[in-house]
Amino acid sequence: MRKKDVLKMTKVKVWMRGPWAVPAVSGAMILASFATAQAVDSSLWGDILMITASVVAGGPVVVKAWRALTSRVIGIDLLVSVAALGAIILGNYWEAAAVTFLFAVGHALESATLNKTRSALAELVAVAPEVAIVLRDGQQIEVPAGSVANGETVLVKNGSKVPVDGVVSDGTGALDEASITGESIPVEKTTGDAVFAGTISTGGFLQVTATGVGADTTLARIIHRVEEAQDAKAKTQAFMDRFSAWYTPAIIVLAVVLGLTTRDIVLALTLLVIGCPGALVISIPVSIVAGIGRGAKDGILIKGGEFLETSAKIDAVFVDKTGTLTEGRPRLTDVVSLDPTMDRDEVLRIAARAEAGSEHPLARPIMDAAAAAGVDVRGLPEHTQPMPGKGIVATLDGRRVAVGNMALMASEGIGGDRYNAARAAIDELADAGRTPMAVASDGLIVGIVAVADKVRSDAPEMVRRLHAAGVKKVVMLTGDIERVARAVGDQVGVDEVRAGLLPEDKLAAVADLQYQGYTVAMVGDGVNDAPALATANIGVAMGAAGTGVAIETADIALMQDDLLKLPQAIGLARRTVNNMRQNITIALLTVVALLAGVLFGGVTMAIGMLVHEVSVLVVIANAMRLLRHRRDRNSAGQSRPANVINASGSFSTTVRAPS
Amino acid sequence: MTTTDTTKTTLRAEGFSCPSCVSKIEKQVGKLDAVQAVKVHFASSRIEIEHDPERVSVDELVAAVAKAGYTARPTTF
Repeated sequence: MRKKDVLKMTKVKVWMRGPWAVPAVSGAMILASFATAQAVDSSLWGDILMITASVVAGGPVVVKAWRALTSRVIGIDLLVSVAALGAIILGNYWEAAAVTFLFAVGHALESATLNKTRSALAELVAVAPEVAIVLRDGQQIEVPAGSVANGETVLVKNGSKVPVDGVVSDGTGALDEASITGESIPVEKTTGDAVFAGTISTGGFLQVTATGVGADTTLARIIHRVEEAQDAKAKTQAFMDRFSAWYTPAIIVLAVVLGLTTRDIVLALTLLVIGCPGALVISIPVSIVAGIGRGAKDGILIKGGEFLETSAKIDAVFVDKTGTLTEGRPRLTDVVSLDPTMDRDEVLRIAARAEAGSEHPLARPIMDAAAAAGVDVRGLPEHTQPMPGKGIVATLDGRRVAVGNMALMASEGIGGDRYNAARAAIDELADAGRTPMAVASDGLIVGIVAVADKVRSDAPEMVRRLHAAGVKKVVMLTGDIERVARAVGDQVGVDEVRAGLLPEDKLAAVADLQYQGYTVAMVGDGVNDAPALATANIGVAMGAAGTGVAIETADIALMQDDLLKLPQAIGLARRTVNNMRQNITIALLTVVALLAGVLFGGVTMAIGMLVHEVSVLVVIANAMRLLRHRRDRNSAGQSRPANVINASGSFSTTVRAPS
Repeated sequence: MTTTDTTKTTLRAEGFSCPSCVSKIEKQVGKLDAVQAVKVHFASSRIEIEHDPERVSVDELVAAVAKAGYTARPTTF
């Protein structure tokens, strides 16, 4: 109802237009009719009241039925209209009044509760910003949020909504990002940080350069995604749709046939009443809408009904080690010299210079450490050749330098005593969970550098909860060597470690477990594990808030970079699918019970309508349980200390003499 | 006629309580002349309409939905 209209109307008029007016008036008349029947001998006044009650409650239904008929739709309204009119013609005034009254009450309750199941989406739409304060020619101008141009500067003051996606260009402030990530603890923002439309400033003052406006914001993408997901049909739904498509016409035909053969018009009309498919058609959609809405509130976007069903079956989860189980910011931990003519700085210098032309994730920590140690690394390599899965070969001042694993050393034809010494040092470092690389110059190993990454503090808890959520196998995938991977895997508690993988091996690992009958979820960053993500039954993107593509493509997008959201998502999928099954059971049982009741006697029109409406409400109420807030976190094991592979961060001082 | 510009308008509706309203609204809105396509999503209560904004305005679309018995309002995305 529009604001203007509300203002014009008095309270009574508002109520009269509300959903409860019709059932209340017709209910009062039914009661009055009973009272007159007691007080007066003649049934005339009672009957008149009953008929009026039917007209009050049934009138709007007949109007709707007529509207539907004009657009050639045979709906539930028509069935109820025919049944009620028939009952009046037959003189069963009480039945007519009861059926229409119950139908009106049921409808009012349905629309109120059904809208509740959609509340999660409504809340998202409600946070969409409407106005923006833009800085134009030094003036603050208020404009509709959609009309801000990319690159313009908008101001975000304390308590206001961020109107666009953008980057903070000046100022500091705190934002409540709950609408995007589900996390309501405010996040500090300062110059260079990304901000999202629909988040709310809880303090400070920010100047934001707009990078995305209107439909091109993360919030709009989320809303779009949630809507598409809620509309996407689950596999189970195809069956239910087919069932209900046949159910109503079949009941109508049955009613006509039975009416003609048995001449029992009351039986035929009663059949019409229970021919409304009610609970059948909404049983699955309400669960899905509520489940997906619940997820969206918590920063978990699930692509749709089918994906919910698959997610509920997940029994194997693949996670990448680097960046998922670990922080993804490896640091140099060890430098070992194996050459008596070289000190550790010289080994580091060679390694850093060779890696200067590499984009490999392990190149950065080596270069950073060299810079921090004040080692002179000037002079780019003349030639750089990355060896996938092995390391890098570079030409430095005419020398052939190789930095990488022992497989690289072997393929470079390096052997001898130095090789064995390097092997021993590498094994020792790897057992400690560090990633060692041999450094060779002109066919001779000169030293070892090792890099390590911190295990994320919530990784062990995630694995524990995945197991608790029914996942049988948590598998860690990594390109790292076996020993390093094991050390990390043991700390995190994964069931299986697959080490030394090339990108294409990850895909094979996923396919292998699928072949064994597992339903596989794969968590990844979507860049170098895209094929594996696509092959997995469910591809999960983490920290998707910043990347529009991830929100649109991932089967499950976790908005926050929070490991514990993964078990939460799987738990939610299981609960939603269970909820759906319960609803289907309720709906089918109701149909069977009603049909049996009508055919074998006992169910009158009024009882039929009552059971029908109750079943609809039970199904909706059941789905609403999914929206209830439920903390998946259990108190134990919450504040576990961070598992740190190497917290020192400083170089170890081992300097090995060559053997 | 074939080169008329069409835009896609999304309306959000209130009070979809049974899937039978889907076909009612689709037929009611589809009757309008300059409407090329209309799709009603029951679960998210959205109505997506492809129409020629020159010949049928968003207000007229909202009115058509109201004629089918439902309240809807336009939305930016």
